This record gives sequence, structure tokens and C-alpha cells, in this order.
Amino acid sequence: MVSPFCWGCLSQLRPATRALTGPAALPQAALFHTSSVRNAIIKKKPIPHDSKGPRYREGSSARMKKKKKPVERARPPAVGERKALRKRIVLSNPNALEVQDMQDLSAETMVDARLRGSVVGLPVPMLDQLRAVQAFKPKQGWSIFRRPGTLMRKETLEMARLFEKIGGDGQVYKKILTGERGSGKSVHLLQAMAMAFTKKWVVITVPEPQELVNAHTGYAPLSDDEPNLYIQNEATAALLSRTITANKDVLSQLHVSQEHPALKKAVQPKMTLQDLAGVGIRDPALAWPVFQALWAELTATEASPAAQQKFKARPPLLVTVDGLAHWMKGSEYRNTEYKVIHAHDLVLVRHFLSLMHPGDKKPTLPNGGLLLYATSASNNPFVYGFDVALDQLAARQAGVSPSSPEFPQPDPWANADQRVLELFRTGKPTSPNERALEIQNIGGVSRTEARGFMEYFARSGLLRENINDEWVSEKWTLASGGVIGELEKLGKRIRVAA
Amino acid sequence: MAFSRPNCIVHTMQSIRRAGQQSSFVSASPIPTQLLQRQQRHLLSTTSRESASEVQAAPEIDFAQFLQTPARIIPASPAYFSGSPKFIDYLLDLERIQAKYAPLPLVAANKAPRMAWFKLPQFRDFVGEQVPVKKYRGLIKILQRLNRIKPNVAPEEVRQTLSRFLRPGNPYGNKPAPATVDEMGRGRGYGKRKASSAVVHLVEGDGDVLVNGKSLAEVFPRLHDRESATWPLRCTQRLDKYNVWAIVRGGGVTGQAEAITLALARALLVHEPALKPALRKAGVITVDARRVERKKPGHVKARKMPTWVKR
Repeated sequence: MVSPFCWGCLSQLRPATRALTGPAALPQAALFHTSSVRNAIIKKKPIPHDSKGPRYREGSSARMKKKKKPVERARPPAVGERKALRKRIVLSNPNALEVQDMQDLSAETMVDARLRGSVVGLPVPMLDQLRAVQAFKPKQGWSIFRRPGTLMRKETLEMARLFEKIGGDGQVYKKILTGERGSGKSVHLLQAMAMAFTKKWVVITVPEPQELVNAHTGYAPLSDDEPNLYIQNEATAALLSRTITANKDVLSQLHVSQEHPALKKAVQPKMTLQDLAGVGIRDPALAWPVFQALWAELTATEASPAAQQKFKARPPLLVTVDGLAHWMKGSEYRNTEYKVIHAHDLVLVRHFLSLMHPGDKKPTLPNGGLLLYATSASNNPFVYGFDVALDQLAARQAGVSPSSPEFPQPDPWANADQRVLELFRTGKPTSPNERALEIQNIGGVSRTEARGFMEYFARSGLLRENINDEWVSEKWTLASGGVIGELEKLGKRIRVAA
Repeated sequence: MAFSRPNCIVHTMQSIRRAGQQSSFVSASPIPTQLLQRQQRHLLSTTSRESASEVQAAPEIDFAQFLQTPARIIPASPAYFSGSPKFIDYLLDLERIQAKYAPLPLVAANKAPRMAWFKLPQFRDFVGEQVPVKKYRGLIKILQRLNRIKPNVAPEEVRQTLSRFLRPGNPYGNKPAPATVDEMGRGRGYGKRKASSAVVHLVEGDGDVLVNGKSLAEVFPRLHDRESATWPLRCTQRLDKYNVWAIVRGGGVTGQAEAITLALARALLVHEPALKPALRKAGVITVDARRVERKKPGHVKARKMPTWVKR
């Protein structure tokens, strides 16, 4: 009889392996199967622990059960509490000694060259104003002294003289502050604010430029005519609030003198500027037009013909921004096409940046003033175009012609932001009262200033050292040439006798 | 019976031998050859001489003649059978010289000229013998003792003997010229630590430090590193007398700081060589030659072994 299978094929069939045929627990493959399905090693059943025999290489057999501690699940702190703690500003330390015969910052002392290298105290009534404009930063070490004070260094005295000059004839100075980490840029801004408050200027600050671009506040298109520009109502209202809290004395004495068609009903003719700003704070939808109106009032040189009030001359303005690099790149905001909105398209940012350009017919700040925009070295996004622009600015200031080969040019392959480069290509100011944008590098303090600073630590009871020139000189070098932030760290380090 | 006494055995043996001598080879060789015949003749003649004079004393040794044609090779050195004769010869020679010049005045050990004696492997090659370590140390001790003889009174013999034990090339002889401040007033120093290497240019100044073109605090955020980098100047109280310009490459932050320490100390020595003892005390002259230990196969790191797993 002929088999239905070819003999050759049958002989090539391998018999199923033992493992297959063994225990019944295994999944049965078809009996007539050409491949060994389950060649893998069969897992043994795990032997239960207390079955039999000794157990080697294990923990002690008589294992004590640890009692678990009851986990305390405290409630996490309320929303915003952690941030408030992080941002808390402490300006006084009752344990620190009071420094004897420390002078206060005033109109006389701030230009006194004899005070160079000594620490002057910030006047106590001014502290609320400085707090309002967020001049103090959390990590600046204000909390280790009895009362806040600042070192009168060379740059401070130069700036004080600038304040005198501006107060006299209404000049406009514009500066960008650069410098390495801890070199005192933010404190320089603080000193400027303190001087402005003593001189009864109006201070407008943006203490955290990052907050305008990191998409933490609301934004909306400016209008149907300008769909590519965006306003930030809450941020603008906060700015107004800061401004009127800090400048209450000055703004409550000034009255509306211009016409504001954008705010028809909200503005009454006899309103003070404080009340005007209050409108924007109460109704954030109006914040941007109110800010524009406030700005127009502060930069007015004469009353409009319809004004019923007698015009009172406006004080000079101090505008400070701390951390400019955040405004030189795309923001975290998106437009309707989900494209990144450039920081320059936010009207508030655009307003402050436009101040760097010279005014059209009259100066940008017609009543005089100082523009201080600081870069930051610690919270500093890398923006290539901004770096090049600052280099170009420094070169122009040093007298290098933009057509010369020494003039720093952006790398054509590095994709520098043209808007940023264009922003810093400021033309020459037309008005004699207005100066071109300058760049000022803030470096280390001199040895004598460093000595005065360290003596302040010693007199506050923080530093127990015999302060002589040699010791100061050593610390000056260790602080990489008198970088004041590093000096502060050296001054407050606790030394344990070995 | 005749075998019962020993005297009988002797007699018997002698008689057997005589019989054998007379009849040997005659019947043993089936094919007589010429050689065999000559041997036979020779043998016969000796037997005849022996028989002529029974016991003859050896003639008196003439030593004069003996030297010309020695009967065996006499070793050149009396220490031939000691296993390391050359070494012992050297040692004896040195001991002789030491004893001979013992009364000569000596200088202090640190004032004696520095000599590069053979290292042990080189000396073994030199003498061709497996010299033990301890014995070689003894030899070196004698050499050092001889080297301490005041140089202006040291005899020529001592000097020549000592020169035989010097390494070729005289490593301590050709000292590099001491580094000097260049025409711009810079002292240069080079230092290494871990994987970092630093070059420091030191000029007289007022305490500015630049590392790779950056300030000290930018390169070393940690105060400890800043202190260790400037330590040679700090411990000699010269922190405000010099400006430092350093280039440092490779490695991590600590390594870079300590490479600068070494380079700075060397650069400072260029300016002020007299500071060497102070700097040595401060620990910035000694090189720390440790490097990362290599990883080995079968290990997780240099020494760490994989975790033991029960099957």
C-alpha cells in the first residue's frame, strides 16, 4: 500500500523533544509538529521559604519585621506659599550689630566723594518705595545686616553726578549695564532708584523682564488693526500699581494735562496722575491705554490747549529693566497660527525697548531722565544676536567705525536675530540734550572700596578678622578682582578655628 | 675449605685475574684487525713493565714546568666557586679601597656630589651575575661612603673606581639650565594634576588672575578651588605682587585648579628660586602623579566586581 506521505519527508521530521512530551501541565502542541516549540528551560516552582533545609546566602532566618513608621502626610503648602517664601525679602537682622556713624543716602551724601568706599544706609522711609518697585532681590544678602546699606563705589558716585546733571538741564542718558555674575548690576539699579527717590523723580521699573515673556500672564491682540501686536493687561496693571505705590508723593501732585481720546469717559480733567493710573489698576482691560496716557503725561512738556489746570513741570524719569536678554528672543506666547510671538511684538516690551532709540524731534524723555537697562549673568538665556549687538555697541562706543574690518560682525551661519541687531543700530540723537545709547561694564571694586566693604561686615559683627590691607588684598584676588558678590560671600563665611 | 677464610678469597681472585690477563683478547675476537693487534701489543708491553717494577712512586712535581702546561684550568678569581665571583671581586676591591683611604676627611652626605649609581638590573647586566638585592645595597653603601671623601683630596684611584659604577650618560650630570624670566618679564611654569595640564605665565603686577581669559570666579565657582589655585602665592604672601595668566586644559574643575597650583609654583620659582623650601613646605613642589586607575576586564570599574548572583 502506498503511504500518503513521501518517505523522504517523513524521515526528515524531527521527533518532538522530551520537554514537549513530558508533563501534562505544558501547553500541548499538535502531535504532528515539525519544530520544537518549548525548548526553553522550564521554570521550577519557587520553593516556599519555610519548606525545608537550610537557606544559604540570605538574610538571617529569624528576620525581624520592621515596624513601619506612620508617614506623616502633611498638607502641601498652599498655592503661592512656596513662591512667597522664596521671594521673601528680609531687610533687617536684629542680631547684627548696628554700625555706628553710618550715614544715610541723601542728596548731599550721594555726591560726596569722601564717602567713596564706605557703606551708606538707605533711608528708612524710602524702603517701602524700594520694596514697591522690587528693587531688592532675595539673594542679595540684605537679611544679614541690621539695616540695608549700599557701598559707595566709583560707579555709584559717577551716577550720582549724572543725577545732578540731569536734574539741572533735563538731559537724557541711556545705558546698558553689563558685567560678570555678582558684580553689582542689580544693586547699581537699586542705587539709581534710591537716588531717584531722593531727587523726587518718577521711577518706572521692570524688575523681572522674564515675567513678561514666559507666558505666565494673559495676553491678547492689541486691536484689529494691529493683529501682530499683543498687550498684557495684568502685567501692565501690575506695572501701574508698582509705579503709583512707589511714586505716590510725586504723582499725587501732578494733574492730567493732555487729552486722552482712548480713555474718553474714564479720565476727568482734574484728575491726579495717581488717580489716572488707578483707573488702569481697577480695570485691567484699560491698563494699556492708561499706561500710554500716564506716559504721555509724564513726558509732556506743556499742557494741551484744552487743559483747565495750570501745567506743573514734570520730573525726570528713571526707567530700569533688570535682565534684558529675555526680551531679545521669541517669547513663550503663541499666536493663532501657533507660531512663537517674538518678545518685540509685545507692546509693553516694545515700549521699553523703543526708548533706546533717540526721539524723533524732541528727546525720548523730554523732561530728562535716565534709562538703565541691565543684563543678567545668572538668569541669562543665550541669545547670539544680543551678544553680537552688545559687542557692536561697545565697538561703536570705542570709536570703531561700522565699516571697518575690526567692527564685530555676526557670523553669517549663526543665524543671528536680525530684529535684535536692528534694535541696537540706533541712530544719532538729534537733540543736544539726548545722548546715544551707551554700554557700561560694571567690574570689581577697587581695593580701598573692598576694604571699606569688609570693614562694614566687621562692624556689623559678621566678620571676626583683623582687617588690614594684606588680608583685604588676598580676598580681593580671591573674589576675582573685587567682584562684590564674591566679596560678600567671603565676608559672611563662618570661619571655624582649626 | 679454602673459601672459608678471607685470605683465601684474595688469593683466588688474584689468580683468576692473572689468568685472564694472559689470555684476554686472544680468544675473544673472532676477526683480528690491525688495531686489535696493536692494542694487544701495547697491552702486552705494559704488563711486561708492571711485572718489571712492582710499585713505583710518582716523580716529584716540578712546579716551574707545571705552570707552563697546567694539568687543569685554574680559575682567575679565587671567588670562582662562590657563584658570583665578579661581584665579590668588586666588593673586595671596594672594601680594600675603603680601608686604604679610611682616614681621608669626609663631607656631609647631602654635600657629596650626586651620583647615578647603577640600578640593580643594570648592575646585574654589567657583571652578568644574579646579584642579590641585599648584597647590592651593601655595595652601594660602600660606594656612597667613598663618594663622601672630600672632593679636593679624593685620590684618582677612588674617582676612577667610582666612575665604573655609574650609569652611562650620567643622568645627574647634565642638568637643564635654570629657567629664567624672559625679556617680557614673564616666568613660565607647567604643571599637571589628574587629567589636567596648566601653563602659567607669571609677571610682576598687583594680583590679577586670568584663567583661560576668564576671571577666577567664573572658572572656579567653588572658593576652595580658587584658594588652591592661588595657594603658592598666598602661602608666600605674594598674592598682590604678581599677575597670573594661566591656560589650563583637560580634566575637571579640581584637577584644573591643582594643575594651576603646580604650574604657578614653578613659575614663581623662576622669579624667586629662594622660595623653594617655603613652597615645598606648602606642598606645592611635590608632584601628585596619581592618575585614574584603568578599568579591568571582568570588573565593573577598576576594582569593583559585579554583584554576586545566586545562579
